[in-house]
Amino acid sequence: MNSGIDLQEIFIESLMDLGIPPGAAKAIWMPLPMFLMIIGATVGVLVTVWLERKISAAAQQRIGPEYMGPFGVLAPVADGMKLVFKEDILPAQSDRLLFTLGPVLVVIPVFLSYLIVPFGQNLVITDIGTGIFLWVALSSIAPIGLLMAGYSSNNKYSLLGGLRAAAQSISYEIPLSLSVLAIVMMSNSLSTIDIVQQQSGYGILGWNIWRQPFGLIVFWICALAECERLPFDLPEAEEEIVAGYQTEYSGMKFALFYLSSYVNLVLSALLFSVLYLGGWNFPIPIDLLASLLGVSETDPWLQIITASLGIIMTILKAYFLVFLAVLLRWTVPRVRIDQLLDLGWKFLLPVSLANLLLTAALKLVFPFAFGG
Amino acid sequence: MLKFLKQVGDYAKEAVQAGKYIGQGLSVTFDHMRRRPITVQYPYEKLIPSERFRGRIHFEFDKCISCEVCVRVCPINLPVVDWEFNKETKKKQLKHYSIDFGVCIFCGNCVEFCPTNCLSMTEEYELSTYERHELNYDNVALGRLPYKVTNDPMVTPLRELVYLPKGVMDPHGVPDTARRVGQLPEEILEKSEK
Repeated sequence: MNSGIDLQEIFIESLMDLGIPPGAAKAIWMPLPMFLMIIGATVGVLVTVWLERKISAAAQQRIGPEYMGPFGVLAPVADGMKLVFKEDILPAQSDRLLFTLGPVLVVIPVFLSYLIVPFGQNLVITDIGTGIFLWVALSSIAPIGLLMAGYSSNNKYSLLGGLRAAAQSISYEIPLSLSVLAIVMMSNSLSTIDIVQQQSGYGILGWNIWRQPFGLIVFWICALAECERLPFDLPEAEEEIVAGYQTEYSGMKFALFYLSSYVNLVLSALLFSVLYLGGWNFPIPIDLLASLLGVSETDPWLQIITASLGIIMTILKAYFLVFLAVLLRWTVPRVRIDQLLDLGWKFLLPVSLANLLLTAALKLVFPFAFGG
Repeated sequence: MLKFLKQVGDYAKEAVQAGKYIGQGLSVTFDHMRRRPITVQYPYEKLIPSERFRGRIHFEFDKCISCEVCVRVCPINLPVVDWEFNKETKKKQLKHYSIDFGVCIFCGNCVEFCPTNCLSMTEEYELSTYERHELNYDNVALGRLPYKVTNDPMVTPLRELVYLPKGVMDPHGVPDTARRVGQLPEEILEKSEK
């Protein structure tokens, strides 16, 4: 199997040819993908915000943002600019340190999780052995930040929102991890690259979507709950508790919360596409297409096309899921807190456990199809 | 054991049903995406109010006989009629007339009962001011010609849904001369008189 373009190796080798020592060459390379990923994630958020507004408008027979740039694409940029220039208000009786630390603790793990999102065989910041576990672990830091923000605001609505956020994140983390575990069991690896590798080869038929129909539903519901998206947006339910833990926040600190919620949505969508929709794979295997057209596997043209197609496929799949999330937002009403916990503990947890058991059994019985 | 299995089966059935309902809801939301927006881009486009619209009240000073019927029929006795008896002509002479549109409920009773038709309804509805006392219109302000959507060169007037030709749903680009759906009020009147 050809591994495609390895930008890192090419970059480091060409720097070493210029007479730079290998260590320095690696150090020069390292910030590049990180910087690119942060920019990519931020632009992804802008696109998501715009899409959310446009799709919401379409679902409600409105037009949505129209005059800010072509089709209103600059609307989220204007939103961001406004938030940057707004006054950063600190409530009088709040805890200064925790109030500032809250949004920081929410944002950093979300951006850190982009470390493990692959866009191609070698297009990932780090292919660490504990990849998907790192994401699960990082996503449980955010509730601490939310709780901190809620408690330090010295506001009953904020406290309620923070407590709800913590309860929600903790109860939905478990079925989420269990559904991820079923995937991990099939691919025998926690690495996101290996998980995608295991799905490639048969095109759309090889994707985990066919092997994990229950895990897929559980994962998507949990991901929506983790992102606090609409059927589960209790922590910031504006009809009940003003804006939850965000009530006292303004300016840049509010922008961090806003940013992190959308980055988290895009991240969940990306990981969904990695775990269940075959990541960067094209619905028809490219190797097959190439051999049909008589193109050699080592052809540089083919490699470039494969790499760019991989990035496009990953992003397309992720944005399809974002679209689904927005559509769900205008379809499903918000659940109550007892219904939320009911769904988490009494439905998703048993279903994901049963799914795990089923996957284990199928793996033993059909090792060829379920990754023996 | 059997009871437990039955419970599991019922639970699964319920879950499937819930999924089905969410799917139905999603299809409704998805269907809305292909419908055309009904947006009226307000400061640039405005709907033409219907002929029965009750907007700002217009007042003609010279027609008024200071009978104060408008005050009597008003639910809150709102119009202020300031008159003086002219001994030479032996008639009431109107000095000032005012209506406070911050308090008026636009019920139209005054217009209905005015014996000399000096009060009339207009289609003007953009009454917002920076201060509520500015809404207290005196006889000069009440006598101003009403703003009309169709006369404003900066505004694209749009017809409301019931005033569109038959089968047309989108008011954009419908020519002025296109006849509205159904019978016109004059025609209904003519038919009833026959």
